[in-house]
Amino acid sequence: MSDFLSAYSIQNWLESCPQGYLDGTEFGHLPGEGEPELLLENDILREDAIATTVQMVVGERCALAASSGLINAAPDEGSRRYLATQTLDEARHVEIFTHRLYDLGVRKDQLEDVIRRYANPNLVRFAEVLLEKVDRKDFVSGVVGQNVVLEGMAFSVFEMMHALSSELNPKFGRTLAGTIADERRHVGFGENRIGSLLKQYPEKKPEIERMQKEMSYWMLATFADSFRHNQTQAEMERLGQERPHSDYQGVDLGVLSPEQMEDVLADTVLKEFKTRLGRIGVEYQTPARP
Amino acid sequence: MNDPLQLEDAPVAGSETPRLRFLLDDSGFDEVPKKYRRFYRKWRGAGDVLAPNEVICPVCKVVIRSTRELRVGDRVYCMPCMSRLVVMRAEDGTLEARVAY
Repeated sequence: MSDFLSAYSIQNWLESCPQGYLDGTEFGHLPGEGEPELLLENDILREDAIATTVQMVVGERCALAASSGLINAAPDEGSRRYLATQTLDEARHVEIFTHRLYDLGVRKDQLEDVIRRYANPNLVRFAEVLLEKVDRKDFVSGVVGQNVVLEGMAFSVFEMMHALSSELNPKFGRTLAGTIADERRHVGFGENRIGSLLKQYPEKKPEIERMQKEMSYWMLATFADSFRHNQTQAEMERLGQERPHSDYQGVDLGVLSPEQMEDVLADTVLKEFKTRLGRIGVEYQTPARP
Repeated sequence: MNDPLQLEDAPVAGSETPRLRFLLDDSGFDEVPKKYRRFYRKWRGAGDVLAPNEVICPVCKVVIRSTRELRVGDRVYCMPCMSRLVVMRAEDGTLEARVAY
């Protein structure tokens, strides 16, 4: 155990992250990179980008509250130090996605109103389920909720967004790539730490399974709202802009409808949940489809 | 440890024949400290193929590369997500990595 946790040291984090893939970046992208003109000049595209980015800020604020809240619930020094690095990662994510809202034209004095207006209520419920475990200092459930469910979802969502945006919007693509790199550590800690802890506390499994089912339901409801209300694809077609033919999970995103994209993402995330939970000995619970 | 492949254990099945050796180039993977970067690469999606010295980390989906051919029973380390893995034979006959908690 000591060997495993020693890998999650502050030194390793410094060498990999700030001195590694974030070296030379500014708010997650290269200095001088901006949002594409097309996005800034078209009200429909800009509003969709703001709505999407607000969900990212909401999700990352939840992750920041969860990772910082779990520090004092952790049973060992190594986990506390690791969670300190994750707390800084999550705070950075909140900052870079908030900064993207400013780049998209949101004024600082409008920020909280914009977040309230666009925050998906289903995503807020998703966050509340997790933060209730954190508030009760339930480390095992909290880490499964945060590092397996929330981070597992974010990992797949960001990968899809990266595939969709990196060609048309290199600035956002680079921001997402750095975030995905952070998520690798987060899901790694979740699986590795909980995989061993659940052997010590098998009585926690039923509660964790209920939490996963509930969080998964709110996640699917968020996906449904996001894809069904998104007007970007229709607007791009109206403008005669060709969609990038990028690969995600073996499918060409350039030919899928929003509903088909929702299905691909939901299936990918749920399959990943099932696989990840199975590896740590938790039985995946199929959520209702909203 | 310089190579994700950890060879200090007893010989594993099939180890009687010499392992193939591989020269690793930098694939541009920048999520680990510089001296370890050549040991990892990103999975390129549909159409990508694993070489005999490569295996995918099931936790973070990065491709782990060794300077030597990988075989069943080998223990490898995924630095991007810090998972310890064991190389196994998958149902389809290919090599896959499983997490060792």
